[in-house]
Amino acid sequence: MSISTNSSQNQINLNPVGKSVPRIDGKGIVTGQTKYVFDVSFPNMLIGKMIRSPHPHARILRIDTSKAEALAGVRAIITAKDTYNIKYGSNEYFFPHTVDQMALESEKVRYIGDEIGAVAAVDEETALAALELIEVEYEQLPSVTDVLEAMKPGAPQIHDAMNNIGVILPVNFGNPERAFKESFLVREDKFYASAAAMAALEPHVCVGQWETFSNKITLWASSQAPFKCREALAKTLKMDLNDIRVIKLAVGGGFGGKLEMLPMDFASCLLSKKAGGLPVKICYNREEEFSFSRRKHAMYYKVKTGVTKDGLLTGMTGEVIADGGAYCSYGPTVMAAAIMRIFMVYKIQHFRINGYRVYTNTPISGAMRGFGGVQSGFAIESHMDLLAKDLGLDPIEFRLKNITTPNMVTVNKMFLTTNGLKECIEKAAVASEWTHKRGNQSYHKSGILRRGIGIGIAADVMGSKMYKSHESAGAIVKVEEDGSVYLFTGAADTGQGSNTALSQIAAHALGVKYERIKCKSGDTEITPFDTGSFASRVTFISGNAALRAGQDAKMQILEIVAQELKIALTDLDLIGEEVLNTKDKTVLMNFDKALELCYSFNYGKQIIGRGSYNPKTTPIDFRTGEGNVSGSYGFEAQIAEVEVNIETGEVKILKIWDAHDIGKAINPQSVEAQIEGSLAMGIGYTFTEDLRFKNGRVLNPNFANYRVPRSIGTPEMHSILIETDDPEGPFGAKGMGEASLLPTSAAIANAIEDACGVRIKDLPITPAKIIQALKDNQSIT
Amino acid sequence: MTKLIINKKEYVLDLKGHETLLEVLRDKLSLTGTKTACEESECGTCTVNINGKAILSCITLAADIEGEEVTTIEGLAIGDHLHPVQQAYVDYGAVQCGFCIPGMIMSSKALLDKNPTPTQEDIEYALDGNICRCAGYPKIFDAVYKAGEIMKRGEAVKEIDEKKDKFKSTMAKGLTYEEFLNLPK
Repeated sequence: MSISTNSSQNQINLNPVGKSVPRIDGKGIVTGQTKYVFDVSFPNMLIGKMIRSPHPHARILRIDTSKAEALAGVRAIITAKDTYNIKYGSNEYFFPHTVDQMALESEKVRYIGDEIGAVAAVDEETALAALELIEVEYEQLPSVTDVLEAMKPGAPQIHDAMNNIGVILPVNFGNPERAFKESFLVREDKFYASAAAMAALEPHVCVGQWETFSNKITLWASSQAPFKCREALAKTLKMDLNDIRVIKLAVGGGFGGKLEMLPMDFASCLLSKKAGGLPVKICYNREEEFSFSRRKHAMYYKVKTGVTKDGLLTGMTGEVIADGGAYCSYGPTVMAAAIMRIFMVYKIQHFRINGYRVYTNTPISGAMRGFGGVQSGFAIESHMDLLAKDLGLDPIEFRLKNITTPNMVTVNKMFLTTNGLKECIEKAAVASEWTHKRGNQSYHKSGILRRGIGIGIAADVMGSKMYKSHESAGAIVKVEEDGSVYLFTGAADTGQGSNTALSQIAAHALGVKYERIKCKSGDTEITPFDTGSFASRVTFISGNAALRAGQDAKMQILEIVAQELKIALTDLDLIGEEVLNTKDKTVLMNFDKALELCYSFNYGKQIIGRGSYNPKTTPIDFRTGEGNVSGSYGFEAQIAEVEVNIETGEVKILKIWDAHDIGKAINPQSVEAQIEGSLAMGIGYTFTEDLRFKNGRVLNPNFANYRVPRSIGTPEMHSILIETDDPEGPFGAKGMGEASLLPTSAAIANAIEDACGVRIKDLPITPAKIIQALKDNQSIT
Repeated sequence: MTKLIINKKEYVLDLKGHETLLEVLRDKLSLTGTKTACEESECGTCTVNINGKAILSCITLAADIEGEEVTTIEGLAIGDHLHPVQQAYVDYGAVQCGFCIPGMIMSSKALLDKNPTPTQEDIEYALDGNICRCAGYPKIFDAVYKAGEIMKRGEAVKEIDEKKDKFKSTMAKGLTYEEFLNLPK
């Protein structure tokens, strides 16, 4: 038996960018040694529980905690009277009027689960017993849980917002009515995209500790945005930012659900203070996770489009109504994503879509992976297929006539530089044998099992200024005397692998092997600022910071070498652990030698590189939708092949192809993994994931009744990586991670229509809907 | 007092009748590698092996398994040598957030110990009780296949997929599976 010595454990990655190096945290994860906040425990740690409203809408008249306080083992109880009653919000910088939530509500509760207090006790049993002893007197108010009812005059008012409309986003360019008049045909469709749960496996969990003598707080949080969490804590607790340290450990998935400070984060800190500084852990159980965290906005999406006889888009109008739940959360940016993404995908000059995000007495809708792009992706990409059908055009041919191109400015002043959308479509079409399968009546179109193929396309930002005037990321590369290299980044790896990708970038920029890097991330006291993991921004923005820090550290080393060898700095480079004379290509010394020189008697130079990056964007005018939101844009095309059983209505996905312009794959294996994960989530959203409510209560708050994809039935997934080498991206890379989720539902719905002629316009697509549509032999809405 | 055998070590514990194995592992023994994401037998995250079978520790009463061989994720690697299933999960990029991975690996190992040459269907059925929310499942399937090959043939697999420039996977530090199993514990 021959044994290879080339095991991955010994593999050396000298120039790691573009290689599928193993995850930097891989061994820790597979051995169970990686620590999540879920696993954190301290001596004398208390267990906290939130006091929640049992009513969808009610006035708080009285809270009596005395019996609970008298219970043995209870260490602290807090309610709004222990707080400053300061409201916080997630889009505060751009939308101050959407700041509408208190860490603990003082006057009114607005959904079942709304937090009005918290208890801390020596163990979970005691904390739960204490909850039972808390007496709250409510005056129940009329509630409204349906979004369309909530908009009607006379509906119960949840906040001070006319018709409960918390966010109005009008996006308006040109004159679509005139464009319609000049169109060959105009078509209108209505779609519904359902609510969904993030369902990250690690629940929301935190440990707060308030050092009462020094008046400093440490919060260990399962967070996608530790710095954002710190800011919200500082505001609501009236503390200085620097008195709060938020530490992110390994995070067991986020998907948007862990972007914001939740009342539990606030409560764990304040409970700790009241308990004399003992640490307090609060951990959601799965029911709380489904019922009281955040969810995807359900949306009604109405869209009307005109086209010329040749199939060119002339104008588009529409209306988006989103169920926002009880508070605003990331509502404005979700609405912006639901409407403005279309400009990255299609050339369109005359446009007016108005977005309304409406309060209801249901749990809070937030920013789930893709923001509003998943819902709009389903609507717009389904609508495009229907337009193509009306025109008698192949869906791909129709799209190719209308897609955006490289180096163009969109009507709302987005600057699309590199743009691989055309190539994505073409490559996906070839890989999937589109021309052979699409509309081919001899290709599995008879019998019980009918096959069909459908496409959806999408584009995505890489970053978005959501809570600050800037969106910069920072990085530090510290090269130690022993040759170890530390990367400090504020970016929050929530499982997507950013610590690995950023380490690859830093190593490559510095000119050393990947194996040297140790990555420290997401600690507000130790690492540079970073706005967090959202909007597919980390590889692009935090990656650019890591790149600059690596380059800076390299220059510091080369300066010493230049001085010592009396060679011009411009003639030196450090690549793959070797210092080179770039003029004659000779190797002057290896990295270890160069480092020895830096730390020698004569020089004693510490190597500390720093990098900062803020994307080149322009301010967005949210009254019109104008502005360049992102430093670059990513594109993709997705094709699904399905088999529909026309007797049972069951749909099986046979294969799915995803061609993605990611600029440059820093780690191809991780890019594929992100695509596959998105596809799985998109398939789940299309068929089974549907968070259902009755009178404001979640009906299916568990994995038995909220069905996420499992291993059985996983289709073949084919990723095609298109590298357009973005001039602004680190090593040409763009962000990715959300875009692959955007067109999935539409690609599947389009394939179903190709297979059996029925069009499903409301999610999720269930066998019952397909059977009904087959019976009606027409579209259902 | 109850005697539990966990990762070949004996623990004598004063157990309450309602304590689950999951609670004992995490809260009493600080073996936090075993996770849970539901505590109601739906997610598979708490999977351990008992007498070689994949078992959900969240619905197993600790007192009921006295004397049985419990293996958790902490019990697979030997020294700094990863078990082939663990190594394959790293090599094939099957790991994202990692929260499901200990349970996923324990289900994979229970499958491969019985059947190192599973079909795609075998793998899908064996892992269907384990939810992964990040990665979909394709890379996990790859890892299980290849780990099975290593365990069956008892030798290193040199190349995984040259086309895709993927990682070379071998047994940890070039050992065969047999040699791995015979390492001094």
